[in-house]
Amino acid sequence: MTPDVGPREAALRVTNLHKAFGSLDVLRGISLAAHEHDVIAVMGASGSGKSTLLRCINLLDIPDAGEVHVGGELIHMCFDRRGQRTAADPRQVDRIRTRLGMVFQRFNLWSHMTVLQNIIEAPIRVLGVPRRRAIEQADQLLRKVGLYDKRDDFPAYLSGGQEQRAAIARALAMEPEVLLLDEPTSALDPELVGEVLKVIDDLAAEGRTMLIVTHEIGFARAVSSRTIFLHQGMVNEQGPSRQVLDEPRSERFRRFLSGGNWGRAALTTPSQTGGNE
Amino acid sequence: MDLTIVWESMPRLLGGTVLTLEITFLSLLAGLCLAVPVAVARLSYRRILWMPAYGYMLYFRGTPLLVQLFLVYYGSGQFQPLLDQAGVWFLFREAYFCALLTLTLNTAAYTAEILRGAISAVPRGEIEAARSLGMSGLLLYRRIILPKAFRLALPAYTNEAIFLLQATSLVSIITLLDLTGVARIIVARSFEPYKLYITVALIYLAITYLVAFAARHAERHLSAHLRERPVEGVAGASGR
Ligand SMILES: Nc1ncnc2c1ncn2[C@@H]1O[C@H](COP(=O)(O)OP(=O)(O)OP(=O)(O)O)[C@@H](O)[C@H]1O
Ligand SMILES: [Mg+2]
Repeated sequence: MTPDVGPREAALRVTNLHKAFGSLDVLRGISLAAHEHDVIAVMGASGSGKSTLLRCINLLDIPDAGEVHVGGELIHMCFDRRGQRTAADPRQVDRIRTRLGMVFQRFNLWSHMTVLQNIIEAPIRVLGVPRRRAIEQADQLLRKVGLYDKRDDFPAYLSGGQEQRAAIARALAMEPEVLLLDEPTSALDPELVGEVLKVIDDLAAEGRTMLIVTHEIGFARAVSSRTIFLHQGMVNEQGPSRQVLDEPRSERFRRFLSGGNWGRAALTTPSQTGGNE
Repeated sequence: MDLTIVWESMPRLLGGTVLTLEITFLSLLAGLCLAVPVAVARLSYRRILWMPAYGYMLYFRGTPLLVQLFLVYYGSGQFQPLLDQAGVWFLFREAYFCALLTLTLNTAAYTAEILRGAISAVPRGEIEAARSLGMSGLLLYRRIILPKAFRLALPAYTNEAIFLLQATSLVSIITLLDLTGVARIIVARSFEPYKLYITVALIYLAITYLVAFAARHAERHLSAHLRERPVEGVAGASGR
């Protein structure tokens, strides 16, 4: 029942994950492990199931089969009366989710709250951090992502890049063990991409464990330790980023990498555009 | 034109206005409190929650308010022994209570429908963001979904409040002396329907105007977060 949490236990382990939407098999047996300090880039064509993979990990989508371990703890699943697979213990899911930070393509900041309120909300309400402490911590994070002067603004006042940095700060405020980032820059105007990648780069340098869905090949090469390429619901190729990105073995991946239009900003490291403070 | 009758009746008309406002306000308040759980239940996947909510909303939105009022006021008499046993008969004897109860149940049904739409319109992504941070159940509703839904619902809810204000005039039929009820009595004695009813109409109009005015203010206040920051200086912030 209780898994032994040895020192070598992966921060995140996904085993044989399956997910179908109706007759569409999106994930057909995905396995991966992220050890502490790993930064894993997840690539794949549009519709290959990258978002679905991330969403199945924190159960925003319920996988049809397969296991997810977070820090050695298995997320328990069961079948409800109608035969639907579901989480066995909703409270465990809530608890696990606090340990997995999620950053969305479209930011998803709460528009009725200021940036600061967005960041302190979950630490106070979910983790029970005292308000004063939560604010101190939020201010620190805001400085880190270069948004301290925007702390009392509503999201509608921000640029896309600023919104995404605020969303990253919101996820970090929970002190998650693993960050899941789903194309954090693909909804941004090209000139705003750099400031967000810079923040993520800093997180990688801090040794954060991350799973990043990204089309930024140059960024993946510079920041991620490993790259996983999804194709038709399976891991088509994986390995150390420099190796697989420079010399892809699979024909699919090679074609994907030379696909051109994803290569925007590809050959630049993200450091040329700093935050604005 | 001789307006003596209007001036002479004014104190009593204003007395009726107070009752009208009181009934409107109390049923709106109680109705809103009731509407929230009903709307949430209506949106539940569990049949034992959404089916009763659905039936309740269907009944109160699908039948005339006047019939509902008669049903409660006159119909409750048939259940007197039962209500007596439950110790609530003394309430149902009162037209005032019957009016409040009916109006509350009626407005709650409409408000629940408004809230149901507003809750469904809360951006999914923002709800998922909350879930991804470990929020769920009541906390999720209280902190994220409902605050956003209330803002979305405000324009439609203002309409409902105005509609209810007008609808309270029906309570005069079950003997209550609200604004309309007072006017009916004065008219019956003075035979000056035109002058009196136009006065009554103007009073309703004035209240409606005030409600709409207040609602507009509330809306501007509550939607501040959706407007872009006012442009500072010449070069505005690069909003989206
Ligand atoms: N809730 C859903 N219901 C039905 N089909 C879905 C749902 N979510 C995703 N899909 C389908 O699953 C497939 C994979 O979607 P997913 O969003 O995971 O792809 P992706 O790799 O993230 O693509 P992109 O690069 O465009 O973001 C797509 O064909 C999509 O249409
Ligand atoms: Mg996606």
